[in-house]
Amino acid sequence: MTPPAIETDGLSKQYGETVALDALNMTVAQGEVYGFLGPNGAGKSTTINLLMNYIKPTSGTARVLGHDPWNDVVACHQRVGICPDRFETYESLSARRHLELVIDTKRADDDPRALLERVGLADAIERPAGEFSQGMEQRLALAMSLVGEPDLLILDEPFTGLDPHGVALVRDVVEAESERGSTVFFSSHVLGQVDLVCDRVGILYEGDLIVEGTLPALRDTCDLSSDATVEDIFMTLTDGSAHAGAVDA
Amino acid sequence: MALPRWFPVARKEAVALLKSKGTWILAPLLVVWGYGPTYESWDVLGPNVTVGFVQVAGSILLPLGVLLLTYRSIIQERTSGSLKFLLGLPLTRTDILIGKVFGRSVGAVLPFALATVILGVIGGVKFGLFSPLRFIGVFLVTVLYIVVLVSVATAASAVTTSTVRVTGALFGGFFLILTLGWKRIGVSIYSAVTGNAVNPFEPPADGLLFAILRFSPGRAYRTVTNWILGTGNSGGLYTSVIDVLYRGISTNEYVVDATFSGQLVPVYLHESLGLVVLLFWGVVPLALAGYRFKRGDLA
Repeated sequence: MTPPAIETDGLSKQYGETVALDALNMTVAQGEVYGFLGPNGAGKSTTINLLMNYIKPTSGTARVLGHDPWNDVVACHQRVGICPDRFETYESLSARRHLELVIDTKRADDDPRALLERVGLADAIERPAGEFSQGMEQRLALAMSLVGEPDLLILDEPFTGLDPHGVALVRDVVEAESERGSTVFFSSHVLGQVDLVCDRVGILYEGDLIVEGTLPALRDTCDLSSDATVEDIFMTLTDGSAHAGAVDA
Repeated sequence: MALPRWFPVARKEAVALLKSKGTWILAPLLVVWGYGPTYESWDVLGPNVTVGFVQVAGSILLPLGVLLLTYRSIIQERTSGSLKFLLGLPLTRTDILIGKVFGRSVGAVLPFALATVILGVIGGVKFGLFSPLRFIGVFLVTVLYIVVLVSVATAASAVTTSTVRVTGALFGGFFLILTLGWKRIGVSIYSAVTGNAVNPFEPPADGLLFAILRFSPGRAYRTVTNWILGTGNSGGLYTSVIDVLYRGISTNEYVVDATFSGQLVPVYLHESLGLVVLLFWGVVPLALAGYRFKRGDLA
């Protein structure tokens, strides 16, 4: 039996008195497209930071593709592609150099140009990333995450800083990767895009996973009509209290 | 044989450094800084005075330059968030530190190597053929010194959470105290420990005093290079050592051969042990920093 792509058990992170994530229990099956939703500050990035070994948990356990994400980081990251949130690229290095760093470290045989073509950046392959707009940096990071056909693609707020074309591009990439058999786990505080791409969503609110399921099931749970959006579900569950944080952020 | 996992990180670090102007500004500055023939050193060393230029190039300006080129290597990636790319690769955090040190060392050695070649050519033309073995020996020890400096700077960069702190620790602590001011501070430590006042112009023949002075990476570097150059057993610049030993000038430089003249010199003051001091500085700070870096939150 294949292990889940992501499995957490009581995963918690505290900074002093502040609870960033409170005993998260979550399972994402392999092959799923899972939308990890919630307003800013809900703990989405904390969760991804924990799964990626950027930070260490206060308590709880996690498995990523069956690996311990903290002690088995090499085997784990060999099969994971990450498109992080709030990053800068290396300003003096070209797009090609960025991809070569990932390709060579993963010992993959991808062609940098082909990857950049997938994200519409092939023309900029030799340009230093310091000249890139935020949207271009986001596309470059997306291309880097696709290196080596990862079994799990983690996209942290992938729609940030993208124009409508970029948003459509991310959706296409998610669909293509899912078709290939990869699991896609992405976080978003922008709810509009989620209906179109997700098999299942989980809504994180104040460090707690308050609900999780397929969209039809969630509509039923919340007693909403079949054309209700993720946003409606989200509003119902949080009594609208998270509304401002969710859309303004 | 497969390249180590961290090799692409090292390559990226070296490329980024070699693309920066500062790296290449360092090369001509080192030439100007290092080149300084004197009649006295010519009298003692002959054509090998050129080898001495390399030692001068490796003192004060080189450590300052290398620290400047390296001190932000990790903290900058941490604050900008690009560290998330490195941490997301199939690498341990130790791999990342090793790749950083290796790549930055290559990036810092190249401008120094260029300066060395220029000094060699100028010196060779003006003062005749020097001993190639001594020249290469001093060059290699300086390369080791560069790696040590990169290692210390990377260590500081890895454990601090703000650029201000790493700047303070490296330039205030490491450079100012251990590299630039250690002669004075080392002597104060010796006096505090033993209760003996030290007249720098006539220091006591006490091995402990010299051992403390030698603990500075810069003085350890010069002890080894003076040994290769054949000037004398001292952590001072070769020109100061020549002043003391050959011209009989009483200076405030500490030279074992002068202070211990006619007495038995403790074994631990042998010049080769300067290499051990350099290795200590290359390994210990990075190992301590690595211990924390491996366990800490980096995002």
